[in-house]
Amino acid sequence: MSAPKRGGLAGKILRVDLGSGKISTEDTWKYARNYLGGRTLNSHILLKEMDPETKFSDPENMLIFGVGCLVGTLAPGACRVSIDTKSPFSNGKGSANFGGHFGPELKYAGFDHIVITGKSKEPVYLWIHDGEAEIRNATSLWGKTTGDTETLLWQELGDERIQVSSIGPAGERGVRGSVVFSNPGKAAGGSGVGFVMGSKKLKAVAVRGHGSVRLADPRRFMAAVNQALAKVQASPYSEGWRKGIIEGKFLPQSPAWNFFASPRNGQDEYWPLEKRARLVGLESGVPRYKKRMMACFGCPVGCLPYSEIGEGKYQGTKGVGYWINSATYSTKLDLDDPEVSLRYHLMLNELGLDGDMCSTSLAWAFECFEKGLLSKKDCDGLELFWGDGEAILAMQKKLAYREGIGDFLADGVKESARKLGKGSDSFATHIKGQDSVDPYRADKGWGFGVSISPVGGRHLRGAVSVPEVTGPKGLAWAPTSYENIPEAVFWQSQAKEIEDMAGFCIFVGTWSGAHALEVSDYAELISSALGIDLTEEKLMKIGRRGVNLEKAFNTLHAGFDRKDDYPPRRYMEEPVRSGPHAGARCDREKWDEMLDRFYELNKWDRETGWPTEKGLKELGLGGIAKKLKKAGRLK
Amino acid sequence: MRLVLNSEACNACRMCELACSFHHQRVFAPHGASVKVSSDFKEGKIQLAIDSTCDLCPKEPQPLCVQYCMTGALKKEGSNERA
Repeated sequence: MSAPKRGGLAGKILRVDLGSGKISTEDTWKYARNYLGGRTLNSHILLKEMDPETKFSDPENMLIFGVGCLVGTLAPGACRVSIDTKSPFSNGKGSANFGGHFGPELKYAGFDHIVITGKSKEPVYLWIHDGEAEIRNATSLWGKTTGDTETLLWQELGDERIQVSSIGPAGERGVRGSVVFSNPGKAAGGSGVGFVMGSKKLKAVAVRGHGSVRLADPRRFMAAVNQALAKVQASPYSEGWRKGIIEGKFLPQSPAWNFFASPRNGQDEYWPLEKRARLVGLESGVPRYKKRMMACFGCPVGCLPYSEIGEGKYQGTKGVGYWINSATYSTKLDLDDPEVSLRYHLMLNELGLDGDMCSTSLAWAFECFEKGLLSKKDCDGLELFWGDGEAILAMQKKLAYREGIGDFLADGVKESARKLGKGSDSFATHIKGQDSVDPYRADKGWGFGVSISPVGGRHLRGAVSVPEVTGPKGLAWAPTSYENIPEAVFWQSQAKEIEDMAGFCIFVGTWSGAHALEVSDYAELISSALGIDLTEEKLMKIGRRGVNLEKAFNTLHAGFDRKDDYPPRRYMEEPVRSGPHAGARCDREKWDEMLDRFYELNKWDRETGWPTEKGLKELGLGGIAKKLKKAGRLK
Repeated sequence: MRLVLNSEACNACRMCELACSFHHQRVFAPHGASVKVSSDFKEGKIQLAIDSTCDLCPKEPQPLCVQYCMTGALKKEGSNERA
C-alpha cells in the first residue's frame, strides 16, 4: 500500500548558526504530527534544545521563525508567523506573531521554520531564496529604519516581490521592547524578539520563493476552504474588523470604549467622550487620514488602513498602521491628537519599537513626572505633561535610540522602577517582567487572560471579552462578572494555540465569536491539507500540548509560579475612578478562586501553578515531565 | 468575456493569485499565476496585472480569480463566451 499523501508544509526547517556561519536543513515532518507548526513547533524545539541556564542575551539563545502549517494556502486568513525565543524581559518564554506576506513567501522558498542560533560579529542579513540560504553583510543597512531596510534590500537583490522582516534602530541598540517588523504594518511585538535578533547582529531576513504548497487532498481542501470562506464573509464581525475596528466598533459613542481604555498609565479605565471624539471621530479623528485599505496574504477581511497626513506639521507621515493599536497607545498616554497618534504609531513601525512597551514605559515616566519623581532635568529638558504630543514623540525617539532618559527606560518599566525607587514600582504596570498596556479591572475576562499569559501581560493568549465576540460557544459569562471566566480563558488559550500553529489570524476565528471559523473548521482544513486525520477533539489536545510546552518552559527556565499570574499591583489596589465601571478593581480573593479553577482545568498544581506529571503524560509530554522532575519543579 | 482590473479597489490580499495557481496546477504557487498583484505597502501602491497565460478558467462558472476576489477589484465583463 502506498503511503498516504501529505501536503500543506514546505517540508524543511532551515537552521542557521550566525556564529559559525553553518547552514543546514532538516525535515519538518518529523515534528509535524505532534506539533503541526507555527508557535507550537517552535515551543517544542526551544524546550527540547535550549539549556535552562542559557540567558536571553547569550549566543545560545534561539530565535525561531515558525510559519503556520496552513500558511501559503487559500485557507482564509492563514498568513501568520510566530517568532519564539527566550524573552529579554524574563528569561521565560518569548513569543510574538505577525501576519503580512512574509510567511507564505518563506514556504514558497521551501521552508516552514528558521531556527537561528549564535551571534554574528558584524551586522548581517539572511537571504533565503528557493531552497537556498546565504548570510550576507548588512553593514550598509545597520541604523536604517524598517521601511528603508526593505527598500534597500529590494534594490540590492533586484526584486520588489521579496518579502522582508527586519529590526529597526531600537533592536540594534538593545531596547528590550523591540519588534521584528514586516509589511504591511505588521510587528511581531511582544517579548523583545527584535532585541534578540539585534543581539545576534541580524538586521533582516529577506525571502523570495518560486515554489508551491501542495495539498494532501485538493478537492476536500477546497470544499473546506469554500465553507470557511462563506462563514468569514457572513460574519458581522468581519465588516467591523475590515473598517480598521474603529469605524466598525470603536467610534466615540461605542460602549466598547468602556472596556478598552487605560488612560494616564492606568490611573483610570474611562476616557471622556470628547477625547474619544477628537482621537477617533470619523470627520476629525484618525479615520480622516485613510487613503485605502490593505490586507495580509490570503485574508478575506483586509483590516489594514493605509493612512497619510497630507499637510501641516506632520506632513509626509504615511504607512499602514492598525488604528486600534493607535488608540490603545494614545489612551495610555492621554493623547487625543489624531495626527500625533498616527505619527507615533507609524514611527513605532519604522523604529522597530513595541507599542505596548513604549507606551507603558513612557506612561510610567509621565506619571513619575506628574508625581515629582522625575524632574525636567532628569528628562533631558522635556516636560512630560499628559497628552503633550511633542513630548511623547521626543520621548519615543529617545527610547528607540537609547538616548538620555530613553536609555534609562530601555529595559522596561520593571527595571526602570527598580532603578528609580521612590515607590514608583506601585504604578509600574508589568507582568512577568514585561510592560503591559492593557486594561484589567472592568473586563474580568480580559484582565485574567492577560495575567495568566505565559509571555507576560499580553492579550493574545487567553484574553476574552464579551461572549458575542470572543471565547467558546455555549458558555455563559459576562465581562463584569468573575463567573466562568477561568473556563472561557482555558478554552481561549487552547484555541489561540491552534490558530498560532496553523497561522490563522484571530480576526477570522476566535475573535469573531461563533460567527466565523471554529476549531472544527481548522481541523477539516488541516486534515485535508496535511493528510493528518484530525478531529476537533484531537486538535484541541494538540492545543493543550502547546499551552503546556509554554508553561513548562516558564517553569523550567524562568522559575515562574503562581505569584506571577496576578495583575500589576495598581489594578488590585486602585479602583477605576470614573465612568460606568467606577469602583471596579481586581479582587485578590476572586483572583485566587479563578487561579485555583484555571489550574485545575489545566491539570496544574494549585499551590505552585507548576505542571503535573499526570497532566503532561496525558498529552504525550512524558519527556518534559522528566526534565521538570529532575529540576524539582514538577508536581 | 474579459477581465476588468481595478487596482484602486484591490487591497493586495492575493487570494486571486492563489486561486489562479490552483486552477492551473492544483497547487498554491503565486509565481505560476496568470494574475499578479504588485505592491509597495509603504507608499500605498498596489498594481494588478494579467498575463497571456490566463485562459479565463473555461471549466468554471466564472474565473477563479473573480470568484475569490473579496473587494471587486477583479470583475468579468461581457458574455460567458471566452475569447
